[in-house]
Amino acid sequence: MRLLIEFQKTERVRHLGLLDMQRTMQRALRRSHLPVQYSKGFNPHMNMSFASALSSGIPGDAEILDVSLAEPVTEEEALQALRTALPAAMPVTRVRLVDDRFKKMGAKLEAAAYVFTLHTDSETAARLLEAIPRFLAEKEILALRKSKSAERMVDIRPMIFHLEGNATESGAALQATVSFTEPATLKPTLLLDSLCRYAGIEVPPTFIRRTGLFGRNEQAELVPLFDMP
Amino acid sequence: MFDLEIEKLLDLVQKPARYMGGELNSIQRDFEHTSFRYCFGFPDVYEVGMSHVGSRILYDIINKRPDTLCERVFMPWVDMADLMRERHIPLFSLETRHPVRDFDILGITLQYEMSYTNILEILDLSGIPLHSEDRTWADPIVIAGGPCAFNPEPLYHFIDAFSIGDGEVSTLETIEVVERCKRAGMSREECLYELSQLRGVYVPSLYEASYHEDGTLAAFRPIRVGVPERVQKNMVADLDAAEYPENVIVPYMEIVHDRINIEVLRGCTRGCRFCQAGMIYRPVRERSMERILDLAQKLVDNTGYEEITLSSLSTGDYSCLPQLAHEMMERFEKQRVSLSLPSLRLDSELKATLEETQRVRKTSLTYAMEAGTQRLRDVINKGITEEDLMSSVADAFAGGWSGIKLYFMFGLPTETQEDLDGISALAQKVVRQYFATPKEKRARGLRVHCSASCFVPKPFTPFQWEPQDTLEQFKEKQDYLCHIMHIKGVEFNWHTPQVSFLEAVFARGDRRMADVLETAWRNGCRFDGWSDHFLFDTWMKAFETCGVDPAFYANRRREKGELFPWAFIDAGVTEEFLWREHELAMQAKVTPDCRRGCHGCGLKRFEGACRS
Repeated sequence: MRLLIEFQKTERVRHLGLLDMQRTMQRALRRSHLPVQYSKGFNPHMNMSFASALSSGIPGDAEILDVSLAEPVTEEEALQALRTALPAAMPVTRVRLVDDRFKKMGAKLEAAAYVFTLHTDSETAARLLEAIPRFLAEKEILALRKSKSAERMVDIRPMIFHLEGNATESGAALQATVSFTEPATLKPTLLLDSLCRYAGIEVPPTFIRRTGLFGRNEQAELVPLFDMP
Repeated sequence: MFDLEIEKLLDLVQKPARYMGGELNSIQRDFEHTSFRYCFGFPDVYEVGMSHVGSRILYDIINKRPDTLCERVFMPWVDMADLMRERHIPLFSLETRHPVRDFDILGITLQYEMSYTNILEILDLSGIPLHSEDRTWADPIVIAGGPCAFNPEPLYHFIDAFSIGDGEVSTLETIEVVERCKRAGMSREECLYELSQLRGVYVPSLYEASYHEDGTLAAFRPIRVGVPERVQKNMVADLDAAEYPENVIVPYMEIVHDRINIEVLRGCTRGCRFCQAGMIYRPVRERSMERILDLAQKLVDNTGYEEITLSSLSTGDYSCLPQLAHEMMERFEKQRVSLSLPSLRLDSELKATLEETQRVRKTSLTYAMEAGTQRLRDVINKGITEEDLMSSVADAFAGGWSGIKLYFMFGLPTETQEDLDGISALAQKVVRQYFATPKEKRARGLRVHCSASCFVPKPFTPFQWEPQDTLEQFKEKQDYLCHIMHIKGVEFNWHTPQVSFLEAVFARGDRRMADVLETAWRNGCRFDGWSDHFLFDTWMKAFETCGVDPAFYANRRREKGELFPWAFIDAGVTEEFLWREHELAMQAKVTPDCRRGCHGCGLKRFEGACRS
């Protein structure tokens, strides 16, 4: 049996990296006394994985941890245990039990949604916002994607599923849904950089938040990853 | 909480998690509606400060006081400190991000002389005037405690009050006084006077020092009636009755000692003559096994940590250690909690215990030999023989350990070349013992880490009269050691003598060191304990600017009877006892563990404290 845990990485702890998150979750699971399954071998560790690693600096509203259990529990029990065990800055929102054959959450991931909060003057914000429709109308948007091994120009336009923005008191806010699969992942910073360059503005101080992770149902529609059949 | 300017900074610095707060079990109170606010400052980075047990004890105690909050602040790393200055962001607490200056008390712990410049940096980043006399009620009362408070003089100008000795009770007393004085509308000066009336509290502005022509201290006395001439250290007589946190903060980022840490005893009866901690933390007080087991269970449940350390100056001396270790293994093995025992003394009955710990993990074993020959170990009263080491190492190798750490000091009083040769000889013997262990028994990959640090004479030790080797002597000995420590299977590490030299200057420094410290800090010194930030030349220039000769403090032999800057502190051990020990050291005569007979160190004067 596996337990899917949906939790928030709040702004307070946005600077945690993957290793910090892993350590924090392991300790929380130990405090929860849930019957987590350990790997066999010389140095046993918990069988758990995040649906997607979230970069240091970015908070998340609906992150998912996928944990293998050695014994069955009820969703209610698991939720109760996690409510007290997780730090207040990383609260659990939902849990779901699935059986062991259920495909790993990470493998079902197709897209991620982000909110960008830009701190800039209204003029710059306006230039950025009016550029969005033209940006989306482009057939091709080339951007330099950096990976560990190489840098490569890629067309990011097909990876943008949704993008809109509005003016705010502090400048502008953007909402975007982008592709998140093994061959085609669009990092939020790359999207922001490309859009700003397209609009002809400097990238202003911006806070990014991941608001959701998505899979695709049989009709190829995006649905929240946590609710995937 | 979400301060935009701070958040912008955090996106620009290394390891922003250091400044984040919000950890599990950290205390988040309503700052505006809490009447007394204490900020606990650690003059080093988060991952170092969070590893310190004493700070965690005090954080817990202060936060348990009604209508009181304690928040933490650590020294920001250089990138953060520079940005904060550039953008005029005052140093803020981790919990509620309030400026440090808004607290009622700023408590600073003095763990290490090389963190002194960081204290000035913390004050300056907070916008608190550096000098005690320039502060007003708009500033917190700045109180410092910890081992280095046993010679507070180099910091006399920057700290309002020092709290000397165990802090469990005295910290609450200082809070009470400051709270009462503020409520009564008393002046800051009167408040400091009130603080000076507490046991263990030293208010430097209420004393004056005068000097002989040769630079030694002529007199040291209070300048106001009613201020005590001698300050007696605070001491917790019963550790079981003392508070110990059952709910400790679990950091998100990895810290230096990232595990549950339970102090099993305080003090040490061995009487190593170089060891300040062994002298100032007397007498030995043990926490009961029941209490330790109870704490361990609660801490495991409340933190989720996977490792427990039993800490003290000499955990091997805990009277029922084998039984305790056994009991802990039984209880926690199912929960996959491992037990590690640091600073083990190899002459303790540990074989059985070691076999238990290895069921969980085989970490490397550490042996603090301190000196290379038996003669020199007798001088420093380190009651360990070569046979002790060899039999313990033989057991360890046969039991599957392959990592050994050997700690030595050089520059010890009476040291000769023979003593240095002894270091190399011991390391070689350990290597030979490994290869003498049958192949099927021993683990592969021998690792002998041998490290030699420069001896620093400290106040309140029998060596407080002794000169430290000069930098030239250290350099020469170090070169020699590097030469003779080329041994297959042995990795040799050493420390820079320059740092030890400065440490020695401050350890036995007086008020005149305050100017040097301030000058060095103004010229850019900070994080002196971090080798990549240590600016030795800047320090030497500061001595020159201030007309202070560092050799006077580090390399001078003191006469019997010289008035020491720290002599006004009653640390428990008497000067007569220390001198007696000094004389025995010079004759290479040992003083046995005082549990086998009292040597009259002076602690018997404290009623009920000394049980041996």
